[in-house]
Amino acid sequence: MTHRSQPTRLRAPRFALLAAAAGLLAAGSAAAATLTLNETGSSLLYPLFNLWVPAYTKAHPGVQINTASTGSGTGIAQSIEGLVQFGASDAYLSDAQMKKNPEMLNIPVAISSQMINYNLPGLNNVHLKLNGTTVAGMYDGRIRYWDNAALKQLNPGVNLPHHLIVTVHRTDGSGDTFMFSQFLSFTDKTWAQKVGYGTSVNWPAVPGAIGANGNPGMVSALRNAPYSIAYVGVSFKNQTEKDGLGEAMLQNRAGRFVMINEKTVPAAAAAMVPKTPRDERISMIYAPGAESYPIINYEYVMVKRDQPDAQQAAAIKQFLTWAVSPQGGNALGFLKQVNFLPLPASARALTLAQIGQIR
Amino acid sequence: MRPSDALFRVTVTLFAAVIPLSLLVLLLFLLHDAWPAIRFNGVDFLFKNAWNLGNQYGNPVTVHGQQVMPGASFAILFLIVGTLASSLIALLLAVPLGVGAAIFLAEAVPAGLRSYLALLVELLASVPSVVFGLWGYVVLIPLLAHHVYPHLARWLSGVPFLGPPPGSGYGLLTAGIVLALMCVPLIAANLREAIEATPQALREAGLAVGATRFEIVRKIILPRLRLPLIGVSTLALGRALGETMAVLMISGNALNILPGNIYSPISTMASFMVSQLDSALQDPTNMAVYGIAEIGLALLLLSLLVNAVARVLMPRGLSA
Repeated sequence: MTHRSQPTRLRAPRFALLAAAAGLLAAGSAAAATLTLNETGSSLLYPLFNLWVPAYTKAHPGVQINTASTGSGTGIAQSIEGLVQFGASDAYLSDAQMKKNPEMLNIPVAISSQMINYNLPGLNNVHLKLNGTTVAGMYDGRIRYWDNAALKQLNPGVNLPHHLIVTVHRTDGSGDTFMFSQFLSFTDKTWAQKVGYGTSVNWPAVPGAIGANGNPGMVSALRNAPYSIAYVGVSFKNQTEKDGLGEAMLQNRAGRFVMINEKTVPAAAAAMVPKTPRDERISMIYAPGAESYPIINYEYVMVKRDQPDAQQAAAIKQFLTWAVSPQGGNALGFLKQVNFLPLPASARALTLAQIGQIR
Repeated sequence: MRPSDALFRVTVTLFAAVIPLSLLVLLLFLLHDAWPAIRFNGVDFLFKNAWNLGNQYGNPVTVHGQQVMPGASFAILFLIVGTLASSLIALLLAVPLGVGAAIFLAEAVPAGLRSYLALLVELLASVPSVVFGLWGYVVLIPLLAHHVYPHLARWLSGVPFLGPPPGSGYGLLTAGIVLALMCVPLIAANLREAIEATPQALREAGLAVGATRFEIVRKIILPRLRLPLIGVSTLALGRALGETMAVLMISGNALNILPGNIYSPISTMASFMVSQLDSALQDPTNMAVYGIAEIGLALLLLSLLVNAVARVLMPRGLSA
């Protein structure tokens, strides 16, 4: 009897183990039931995604969304390759890229703008007046010192220092570079001919010019290097203000000097949104209008039209529809924190039509 | 030969062949991927400063039988110069420091402390390079930009490559300093072992003829270090040439421009490959990616060349 009772005694823990293993398996399959979506790209859009995702996933526990700030270049490249479901970008795809990847949708989710910031010891509380030509001159070496005649002429009475200008540009492929270089191309003929625009451009060889990675890198380069100038996405305005950096007034198409505020960005959007085509690939840089701020853009999420399965397609559609809804992600409670504007009604209608194409 | 011997021989030969074969495969793969770029760029690739993806919002054109974006050109002289210059500065700073540290560890530290200090140096050698980069970015750059370079440039004004402008802290010298810090533990750890391998009889002979401790180091130990020093310097140079992340964070990522002085921003081949890959992937003609592969090929060949030169420099009699 003793011999036979031993296996019986052993059986109990074995059964417990088996039950535990089964429990683990069940837990594993439950975890697999949550759908994981990945977002990467634009460092300008990243702060907004980080506000959206916790709010959205709280209401939709079946979905998990991972976010990463890697630059629009990465967002475009990885969404095309299908490595991520959402590729965040401040720039739309070019005609050649669309021809190569016709399945990509350029879906605007908000309206953003870009600052030109500087670190001029003693002058950071002064809003220097700049126009496209002088900024282009700084970045291509025609203007080397802060007390250049062109800068003095725009800023009478400001005691500009005789110090070399350190220009900072983005090293990674960036929608901010796209917006900035397009502003320079539209305002300065020399820049348009020699450099042009794109998510990465052939930066003129200016001694001392430095390259930085992402908007955070731009801000820390400004902080580290006195007498520097850089272009920074508006979602980093809290950061630039905290670091005490200067912000320029930019000359718009009507010749007036304007800064980013509740009037100038909507004015520019009002001029450009009605011209938006159905695929929503449009530049809103250097918009007409007396009040218009010259560097605004749609913030895009790049999505593949054809998804591998219906469940994933539905989850993507649901999230994007929430993101552009005034009661959801486009609520001012989210957008105000990153200084973005919600999509105007006409643009939202086009965006919803594009979201409807995902299958 | 017994069958088991034959089997042994075949297996060992196979395993031994894996290493040279993988180098060959790597070379072939890079050559294959870079081939369209090599045909498009020609020799200009190595002798001009023109890395330009072209107008990305234009339509592809055909040049030399290759599809490229309008205005595209790929030439990397500035990367080759940046890579060699930063590695050279690193070696110039690291070799004296590393030799000094090794002699100190092996000869001047009390025996009880020696193993602990040696362990510390070896631990330093295993710190991931990105940590060095982060430290350089957060601590070193603001310090150098505000408190060191402006004074250094003023004192050395008039000396070519060392005078003003003092730059922004991101650049050649900063990269050289951080690379040097990464190389010092490598050099020190290896040389310390070489010093400790000096036969005791030689030291005793030195003491017997009345040599001081310093004379023993200078006349007996240092001459024996020449061969290990060349070896370990080559190793350190290899590390500096291929270093990616740390350099990316502190070099200033200059584009298409040669450094005017040691404070100027630079880029290196390895860090440029990382920072530009995503932009290159957006080129609908793929030529930018082929260009990046060509940089990889050039870096591989440069490293092989450096190793070969070190071999030649090595004194014949000593290499046995």
